[in-house]
Amino acid sequence: MLEIKCPYCGKRSQNEFSYGGDGNIKRPPLGEEINTKDWDDFVYFRDNPRGKHTELWHHASGCRQWFKASRDTATHEIFATCKMNEDFNV
Amino acid sequence: MLTQKGRGLGLKMTDINVSALHFDHKLGLFGDYESKSNIIKISEVKDLTIVQIAKFKKSQVNIDQIKIDNLSLPISYPEVSHNNNLRILWTGPDTWICVSQNSSTLDEIKKYCNDNDFGITDLSHSRAVVQIQGDQSIDVLKKGSPFNFNQDNFSVNNSANTSYNGINVMIDYLNDNPKTFNIYSLRSFGGSFYHSITDSALEYGYEGI
Repeated sequence: MLEIKCPYCGKRSQNEFSYGGDGNIKRPPLGEEINTKDWDDFVYFRDNPRGKHTELWHHASGCRQWFKASRDTATHEIFATCKMNEDFNV
Repeated sequence: MLTQKGRGLGLKMTDINVSALHFDHKLGLFGDYESKSNIIKISEVKDLTIVQIAKFKKSQVNIDQIKIDNLSLPISYPEVSHNNNLRILWTGPDTWICVSQNSSTLDEIKKYCNDNDFGITDLSHSRAVVQIQGDQSIDVLKKGSPFNFNQDNFSVNNSANTSYNGINVMIDYLNDNPKTFNIYSLRSFGGSFYHSITDSALEYGYEGI
């Protein structure tokens, strides 16, 4: 069983969590003219790296909070997790 | 709304409102109970006042200064603030569930948590609550939940949000001797949850009370 450390609840089973996508995506700035390619990149296109990846996860069956996780997509090792307003301390 | 099934049994509207497990909970002995003395007891807990308190993000209120019935709001998982009348469970950052058998609890909470800083929601009719009691109750919980129930991680007067056979539940550890847990599921999942937990308990034998 894979365990994920929720920044609020501590280590819990992966069954309690939902994957929430790439954690590196930045929304185009508000109030500016955005070209179609930038919108496409933001909405549709994602990198699919092999190795260390920053992701969003949701503790859906627990405290229902979103958080960031640094995970290896090849080995599934989770290096660190942190709250959304924090940076990884690794 | 009273169902066709309810009308056939001559039930009143109030009967349906009070019990979330009216058509599911059965009294008696079930499973492998013969020649065992301390079998598990499973019951439905009814007539609870369940209130959610959520602090608004913009609020500047200091949580340490809020006291409800002389209880402070727990600031982190898995602590439960409790006295004889009230239990306050931490369910997430700045979110709590208050459980009481006293119907005036909602007014009491509103006295100390004002509308500008907190969202107060009465969830009394939105949960099905099952109580499981007995030395092997923890084994029944372990069969369906991925949560770590070992003593160093979860002890009496702790609570946890987790899942039981895929159903989201909130588990409140009430007592250690005998081991007693209140398990809250969403009301509409109550029937499925009840069948799920009683099915797990058959192996040990249980008494529906």
